Amino acid sequence: MNIEFGPELESFRQEVGSFLDTAPTPAIREAGGKTTSVFAPFEQAMAWQKILHAKGWAAPAWPREYGGTGWSVAQRYIFAEECRKRELPPLLPNGLVMVGPMLIELGTDEQKRKHLPQILSGEAYWTQGYSEPNAGSDLASLQCAAVSDGDDYIINGSKIWTTLAHHSNRMFMLVRTAKTGKKQEGITFLLLERTDYPGMDIRPIVGLDGFPEQCEVFFDNVRVPKSGRVGAENDGWSVAKHLLKHERGGSAASPAMLHSIARLREAAKTTPSPFGGVLADDPVFERDLGELEADVLSYRHFEQLAISGHPMVRDAAYPSMNKTMSSELSQRVSIMMTRVSGIETVPLQLEALTVGANVAPLGDDFDLTAMPYYLNTRATTIYAGTNEVQRDLIARTVLAAHR
Amino acid sequence: MDFSFTEEQVMLRDSVARYLGKAYDFDARQALLRSGAPWSKEAWRQFADLGVLALPLPEEVGGLGGSAADLVPVAETFGEHLTVEPWAFALTLAGGALVAAGDNAAARRHLADLASGASTGAFAYDEGRGLAAPAQIAMTAAPSGGGFVLDGEKRLVFGAAEAGFLVVAARAAGRAGDVEGLVLLLVDPHAPGVALTPFRTQDGRSAAHVRFDDVAVAGADVLMRDAHGVIAKLISDAILVLAAEAVGAMGALLRITGTYATTRKQFGVAIGTFQAVAHRLADMKIAHAKAYASLMYSTALAEAGRLTARDVSVLKGQVGKLGRTIAEAAVQTHGGVGMTDELSVGHYMKRLLAFEVLFGAPDYHFRLVGKAA
Repeated sequence: MNIEFGPELESFRQEVGSFLDTAPTPAIREAGGKTTSVFAPFEQAMAWQKILHAKGWAAPAWPREYGGTGWSVAQRYIFAEECRKRELPPLLPNGLVMVGPMLIELGTDEQKRKHLPQILSGEAYWTQGYSEPNAGSDLASLQCAAVSDGDDYIINGSKIWTTLAHHSNRMFMLVRTAKTGKKQEGITFLLLERTDYPGMDIRPIVGLDGFPEQCEVFFDNVRVPKSGRVGAENDGWSVAKHLLKHERGGSAASPAMLHSIARLREAAKTTPSPFGGVLADDPVFERDLGELEADVLSYRHFEQLAISGHPMVRDAAYPSMNKTMSSELSQRVSIMMTRVSGIETVPLQLEALTVGANVAPLGDDFDLTAMPYYLNTRATTIYAGTNEVQRDLIARTVLAAHR
Repeated sequence: MDFSFTEEQVMLRDSVARYLGKAYDFDARQALLRSGAPWSKEAWRQFADLGVLALPLPEEVGGLGGSAADLVPVAETFGEHLTVEPWAFALTLAGGALVAAGDNAAARRHLADLASGASTGAFAYDEGRGLAAPAQIAMTAAPSGGGFVLDGEKRLVFGAAEAGFLVVAARAAGRAGDVEGLVLLLVDPHAPGVALTPFRTQDGRSAAHVRFDDVAVAGADVLMRDAHGVIAKLISDAILVLAAEAVGAMGALLRITGTYATTRKQFGVAIGTFQAVAHRLADMKIAHAKAYASLMYSTALAEAGRLTARDVSVLKGQVGKLGRTIAEAAVQTHGGVGMTDELSVGHYMKRLLAFEVLFGAPDYHFRLVGKAA
């Protein structure tokens, strides 16, 4: 056993740290502090991507030949950890973490040449068209249809929970191309090179936190070229599963949770306790905070085992376990934040949360973000397959081990 | 970073597992308990032959100088088999105290017997409803000549009735809560004034409450003064080893319950097909994964000499809490049969619940974690 990252990785940490200390602009830092979602404020996240791209660090997980860093899993973890420590906005994941790696594996040479450089530079930002009003957890029931017409498909239907579609200029989507056979077998994966095709209508959805992060997209006889298809017609389900794979492993969710815990512990030192003194010294609070932090640390240990290449990452349940643990822990952290913030969670402060608005928060920065973070984080156990679906998948491995 | 065991560590674990698989299945364990024997002499002899008794002891006294990473996989295997032998208590705690005493002649003698399996020792530590922190030790050791006179009671001393020696943690000065004034004393369990009340524990171990009435301890049997640091280190080592046992028991429960939910049919289908049952199984697997990850991480920290008191509290709190989660879920999933003594499930539960309360329950450890960053 060896707990150390080793001197090479520690000097890598130093190198990363000194760049991250100087490179971000004040607006980027402000956006990081006001990030209350897994999706950072769009404009500043893209500005930060541009800076990282110039340094060659926009896509830590990509192979070097496609403009990635070629970093090891441990290096990527360290990079993510150093970013979280400094409260920098996370880069938006749809292009860099989802479409890009999928294209590297499954795209044609032309698709790679066309899309990968634009994803890296931030020129192209992709929204995901998967869910539909009647196809959420049961995604394979999707009905948004594409009908072949010469070199094009003609799309009719709608997509929902298309994150940041109103800021996006590309879309990857699943469409139904056959209605016979198993429902998974009639699905095709398409890349749309524009989001302003005639007949395409994007309508933002205001979320619980008051911000339009999600959208609904309507398609009325939208004609798109077939060259945007990834994989064969009716084989989109396997492409989608492939893409899912890229969200797995090497996750670095615990640093952000531990950072939030450090912030709320600090805030509790000035929060009055109803029993006198401050909340930080209240034994019940200490116990509850300790229980939460210990649970987050167990998850961190789980992450560390994963980045060390422990055989557990080959367990079919690993991605679902990772998703279930990280989403539920981040929700519990958000609950603890609102518990510390108390009545300061009640004022609605949309303007103060807007980067560059120059509106001072009514309380301090901690109070400003606690409630929006809590509200937004309710989505974590719903998106990317609800935790009910994840538990079904995990249980399957407990049962399958004995069949 | 690397959280894997060496080939030698895996080989030792496998030979322990092979022996236990052959001679120590659940039926054999239950037969052993029914016989009234405190534990299996045969198993203890095998442990000696395999080097498992010498494992935690330093080479100077005939031990193998095993590290944390040597002990953990063996302890995990013990947990899977619910062994009742007092390995962790006799070797890690009592043996560890003798090792810490340095070149004390009596200590050396007992250590040689421990390593060979000729005799065992017991660590008399807990009081009242349990001691989460060594500073809370209240039982007095009144200075007398070069030695001490012991008065008071130690509770839940594992393996005391069978032990060749007792190591007693007592207070020579100050009051409960003080870090200063603690001593470790070597006491003959047959000395005048020592009275044992032996009993079987819920999880099948042999233990005793031990009363001390004016028990004289000679200067030569004073193992250590100013012993707080050493006691805390012994407890920390024991928590790591017992947590490994507990995680082994959790893994076994997860496996057993998965099998049961696959084969047990109600309403014409396997009960694991019901989502409420399936989700409980998923929660069991998540609980095991968290406990296992913290155990492996703590083991690697201990290997590097970097395991802090806070890390130990995280481990103890998590394994304690998650062990209960798994145990209660396993009983519920088994339904009526899970309530019976003849099934192993309830016995795993009792092992896990005993671990939960030893050396500080989760509430105590969580509060420590919550206090300081």
